[in-house]
Amino acid sequence: MADEWGIELSLAEPGTLAALAERAEAGGLDVVVLKDEDNGLDPWTTAAWLAGRTESIQIAIPRETGETHKKVSPAMAEKALDSLALLAGTRLITTALDAEIAPATTLDDVDRLIEKAGDRDRSRRPAAVRALRRDGIDYDDIPASLRKTAIEPGDPGYRGVRSTYLRGGSPGLVLRPANPAEVADALSFARRHRHVPLGIRSAGHGVSGRSTNDGGLVIDVSAMNEITVLDEHQRLVRIGPGATWKQVAAALDEHGWALGSGDYGGVGVGGLATAGGIGLLSRQHGLTIDRLRAVELTTADGTHVRASAQENPDLFWAVRGAGANFGVATAFEFEVEETDKVGWAQLVLVSPDIEQTLVEFGEVARAADRDTTVFLVTGPPRQGQSVVQLYGLVDNPDPEIVVERLTPFAQTGLLAQQQVVLTSYAQVMAEAADVGPNGHHGRGEPVTRSAFLPVLTPEFAQDAARLLRTGQVYFFQLRHMGGAIADTPAGETAFTHRTPEFQVTAMGGDRAALNNAWDRLAHHFDGLYLSFETDTRPERLTDAFPPPVLERLRGLKNDYDPTNLFRDNFNVKPREI
Amino acid sequence: MTDYGHDLLFGSFVTPGAQDPRKAVDLAITADKAGLDLVTFQDHPYQPGFLDTWTLLSYAAARTQRIRLSGNVLSLPLRPPAVLARAAASLDVLSGGRIELGLGAGAFWDGIAAMGGRRLSPGQGVDALAEGIGIIRDLWDVDARGRVDHDGEYYTVKGAKRGPRPAHDIGIWIGAYKKRMLALTGALGDGWLPSMDYLPKGPDSLPEMNARIDEAATEAGRQPSDVRRLMNFMRAGEDSDQWAEYLAGLALDHGISAFIVGGDDHATTERLAAEVAPAVRELVARERGRTAPAT
Repeated sequence: MADEWGIELSLAEPGTLAALAERAEAGGLDVVVLKDEDNGLDPWTTAAWLAGRTESIQIAIPRETGETHKKVSPAMAEKALDSLALLAGTRLITTALDAEIAPATTLDDVDRLIEKAGDRDRSRRPAAVRALRRDGIDYDDIPASLRKTAIEPGDPGYRGVRSTYLRGGSPGLVLRPANPAEVADALSFARRHRHVPLGIRSAGHGVSGRSTNDGGLVIDVSAMNEITVLDEHQRLVRIGPGATWKQVAAALDEHGWALGSGDYGGVGVGGLATAGGIGLLSRQHGLTIDRLRAVELTTADGTHVRASAQENPDLFWAVRGAGANFGVATAFEFEVEETDKVGWAQLVLVSPDIEQTLVEFGEVARAADRDTTVFLVTGPPRQGQSVVQLYGLVDNPDPEIVVERLTPFAQTGLLAQQQVVLTSYAQVMAEAADVGPNGHHGRGEPVTRSAFLPVLTPEFAQDAARLLRTGQVYFFQLRHMGGAIADTPAGETAFTHRTPEFQVTAMGGDRAALNNAWDRLAHHFDGLYLSFETDTRPERLTDAFPPPVLERLRGLKNDYDPTNLFRDNFNVKPREI
Repeated sequence: MTDYGHDLLFGSFVTPGAQDPRKAVDLAITADKAGLDLVTFQDHPYQPGFLDTWTLLSYAAARTQRIRLSGNVLSLPLRPPAVLARAAASLDVLSGGRIELGLGAGAFWDGIAAMGGRRLSPGQGVDALAEGIGIIRDLWDVDARGRVDHDGEYYTVKGAKRGPRPAHDIGIWIGAYKKRMLALTGALGDGWLPSMDYLPKGPDSLPEMNARIDEAATEAGRQPSDVRRLMNFMRAGEDSDQWAEYLAGLALDHGISAFIVGGDDHATTERLAAEVAPAVRELVARERGRTAPAT
């Protein structure tokens, strides 16, 4: 027998619609089917109106109505469906029904059906929710521990988890484990679903990391966001992968501490702390991964492992740069630094000669003290003029020193705007906007390239200026490296590019055009930072991990993820034995 | 001095925000309970942060008891007239005659095209609106014989069935600013629905724009008073008494008889109903030399 029961109402009988639907809902029926009639009411309008008169009963409209609606346009039809789901929940059914339906014209008709339906199993999700499920995912098999928090496309919270900061997505299921045991459950589900994409998400800011997808699984670890001080004296702090760097900075600031991350507080801990972390404090304190003392992760087979210099040191090496290939990190332990006020600068320069500005910026950045980190962002020149944004941090509380450090940077173009404040690192991170209940609003796919630039030469500046003039790059960034980043020997972590002067990122709109323009600069570069690279051509893997590093990673992949479950980005394939 | 003698209506102008979808509905409920005459919703479907206005309007109609509802104004290029006619008549039936049809020729053509609508020049948009209004009225006219056929420049309707029969005479209120649109409003509209903030010279534009509508109405063999003059205000006046005087002036001097106020704010909605509307009604009634109509 069908497990849903409903009444069919004629759209030619407007007077009784509401009363019959309300009675059906009160009596526990599952669905009201609207039957289209000549001269009858418009099905869509009536469905939306009935959704307003009732609270939870599903409303089915004839499939052809979908077609009528598409007369407007598919985009408008989709907008209408989305809007009704936002207003009234996922209650509209436009697909074929597997339900016991009886026509009703009187309250007695409805009551008879209510009686006939009787008590029945209500454990299945409503048909309107099931209709939005994606092929290839066994929704009945979701582990019990995750069922309550999982979000599927028909759930009210779906809008808040589908997309990421720069990427539009429509995953078939988002699992939200809150502890390592639940991560293991999520991974066992993922092992049974190798035929659909798998993304791991901390805060969903990733440019390169595919933490959403179309029709696949996402394991979202944002619930694991605890920040605990382990040892006040050693400044040892344990941080969950789901915290954002803004939260981390605020929590550490209470102790007078800081831990360098990237340059944006909205980024999640898990994604960044398994890749590198080239940020505003890196020249002073090293990469984020350089402050890592231990990490815990759940590997592909559900085993919980701890890695540090003493325990599983090979894995500890691999996680620091290639972590996404080895497991889902569930906790990080960092040794953080004491901090004082910092100088935070945001300058806007105008440059009539971007090539010259880049050369001068390179010279100034090269000569800068370790406490000073300045990033450069520009776009295509307009009428020969480039607008250059410089933003950076001087890790020194003395305003005179802050000004002294920044002055040479401000002179690399014509200073148009400046804002320099003495503040805390936590305040700098706090500038990131909070992500509300509706989640990120990314659309499409970001088109980016990344590279490490060993030396900013005049030849590079010339080629970079040419690249900018192509108009294919709307965002061009130089991240100032050097300083403490190079203090760690290259062999210490799987992130091996320790000595470049800069990390360079370009964002464009057209992948082929960007690749074409960018590839011409290849001879200036040595490797890339995987967090900012979205090109998926196979040679990018050796740009991220030079051959000896890749070999070692393959061997470890063989040990920790022999079936290659973690495969969505910069995939290190297991070495075949 | 122009006063077309219509009873006065007061309403709210609500943003159909999708971020907090219940907010727009709650504002409609507040307006309903406060005793306003109208709640209206902007329609910009290409704006990703907005709900579909027709869906919202249908849902809000079900959640309110007595207030009249309208798009302000619906974008005709994204709402084909035959579909819209049936939808509006249906909702009028379901809501007990509480629906009015605010219509515009379309603006933001990039957005319209992105949502699958046809890109037209502003001039073509006016012609398409005139065609659309004809189709809508034909489909509502269930007493006429035969099906509706329309083979136009912009819309084609073949053998469409008339109906359903609207529960009341739905007013078509047109958002118009430019000369041809004003003339169309005078010839075909039941109402004129612009926003004060977009009038080129504010209230000083009214004599000229009203005259344009009046002239077109007369040319079409109608009375100028066949076209109600409505007006949106993006913000409420701060002082209720001063604001009431200003609005009463617009009613008496320029024939504005519906005052629709934005701001998306419950307190403003309540103040409009409780303080401003009675004061304007009283001032206008006194000037018109008769007592305020019972509400």
